[in-house]
Amino acid sequence: MAAKHWLAAVTLIGAALVPVEASPETCLSPYIKTLSQPEKVMYVWVLPAAEAGPDYMSVIDVDLASPSYGKVLRKVEVGSSGNEAHHMGYTDDRSRIWAASLNTSRFFIFDVATDPTNPRLVRTIDDVPKLTGLSGPHTPYAIPGRMLISMASGPDGAGPGGIAEFTNDGEFVASHPASNHPYETVIKPEFNRMITSSWVSQKTFMSPVSTWDPKDFSDTLLVWDLKERRVVQELKGDPIPLASRWALKPNATYGFTISNVGNALWRFRMSQDGRFTYARAGDLGNCRPRDLRQSPDDRYLYVSCIASSEVQSWDISDPDNIRLHDTIQGLVQANMMHMTGDGRRLYVTNSAISTVDYSPRYALRLIYVGPDGRMKLDPQFVVDFARPPDGPARPHDMLLN
Amino acid sequence: MWMEIAAGRLLQVVCAAALMAAGVNAHEIRPQSDPLQPELTARPKLATIKRAPPIVLHDAQGRNVRLEDLHGRVILVSFIYTTCTTACPLLTERMAQLRDRLRSTGEWGSLVNFLSITVDPDRDSAEHLRDYAELFGDGDDAWRFLRDEPERLRPVLAAYGEWIRPLADGELDHPARLFLIDGQGNVREIYALSFFDERQAFLDIHALIAERH
Repeated sequence: MAAKHWLAAVTLIGAALVPVEASPETCLSPYIKTLSQPEKVMYVWVLPAAEAGPDYMSVIDVDLASPSYGKVLRKVEVGSSGNEAHHMGYTDDRSRIWAASLNTSRFFIFDVATDPTNPRLVRTIDDVPKLTGLSGPHTPYAIPGRMLISMASGPDGAGPGGIAEFTNDGEFVASHPASNHPYETVIKPEFNRMITSSWVSQKTFMSPVSTWDPKDFSDTLLVWDLKERRVVQELKGDPIPLASRWALKPNATYGFTISNVGNALWRFRMSQDGRFTYARAGDLGNCRPRDLRQSPDDRYLYVSCIASSEVQSWDISDPDNIRLHDTIQGLVQANMMHMTGDGRRLYVTNSAISTVDYSPRYALRLIYVGPDGRMKLDPQFVVDFARPPDGPARPHDMLLN
Repeated sequence: MWMEIAAGRLLQVVCAAALMAAGVNAHEIRPQSDPLQPELTARPKLATIKRAPPIVLHDAQGRNVRLEDLHGRVILVSFIYTTCTTACPLLTERMAQLRDRLRSTGEWGSLVNFLSITVDPDRDSAEHLRDYAELFGDGDDAWRFLRDEPERLRPVLAAYGEWIRPLADGELDHPARLFLIDGQGNVREIYALSFFDERQAFLDIHALIAERH
């Protein structure tokens, strides 16, 4: 018996000493399998701007060694138009991408494992409001074997929304009601805690932005018991807290969110008693922040500003005293961002929603981040979505593979 | 007896030290007494996720094992391969700890069984799998280690979303998930190995056993 324990110990020590994979991409669910080599392709979820033709996934070569680096390889159409392509998410095993449509509440499931350079649409779920009692899907977020999708509103596009839960294959599991209009999800498995940010109902975000009624603006983060899918605390702050990021260090108790209306960074933190505090942490100026990304080492946050057409980097080494570190200007209508696993390349798109965009100069751009956290815009890397053959089209969310 | 206890403790200490030295998966080594860790969920309400796909495979002794025949018991299913030097042995050791706890409460065997299925039937011969079963499973019939010919194994793996990708170093990349199946044959929880907490799994199993009454 003792010998058996010794043998098991040797086996386990061998397991423990094998090097682990490199840092995972930031801003993805912690359950998603890590990309084991540098990225080769980028997927961009795209909405044709001229209302002609179906929404599509654009596949772009981002292999640094490739002769077609920075070029669109193909587009994979979804067979229907007017979906308002917006956010995407990998399943936990990185074999499929769920792409959500803000307007029609459809889910499109792509197989990206069989041939990563040639994604294949394998399922479309059309009847999501009927299945879930929810509409206006924002971000698909992976948990083991399933997807959680933050849904802005009730089945008719108004009222509070919730979280819809499906198997990776697209079978409905359950809906979990929220008191606000859920936008995005972050999970810290170590603490069995999930936080959802919030914005507005589907009827509001599909109306011209000038008509948005502030009474429909959510101003809360919800803290959930992940295991129970139950809201345990509401954190009230400035209106429309969009993207949220939990610090990546294991057992980190804090994270940040951006308030679009409040032009501010907010910090949430779990206390010793398990309750959360929520406080304004930084003033973003005339930014109207749209996206928030983080460096793999928890030193920097990146904020895209749709109003001032810039990307700000914030030094958060001391989370209680964060400070503006660097700014890149000239990124008209800056919107979604995606950071590579090594923290050195930050991709930026510039379409928000068709009801919010003010410039048709759609493009995918690239910012290099130095070891000192300073940013530099690559003047050569421009994927032009403003003109044919790849435009006019509105590029929004991105994933790497 | 003292030799067994000493060896068991040495195993725990050495593994923890090795994990810390390697900086591996800090989630695995978080202090159990961390005051910031919320209470475990004592009486979880587990949704029915889907019907558990059928499993009909041979075990390491060549006996036919059907998931259907285990109806009425709570089943924990894992996917492993014996030459794995990363996740699988750590997972299997955690399952062994869970098994020990279920033994101590008298629920092991009659109410709870484990199935560990190899994803690498080419290298995992019946003999290798028997050794592995003896090492971790204690040769216990309530924990079966399953393998089969690829044409019989492939549909089972596919039904559970298990794909296999050979890596250059000889390891296999595959989704490291565990499936908890209730007595009626429904999947009620899916765990990721990297965040698997055998204490919560114990409570989940208890919740499913309680549903019988």
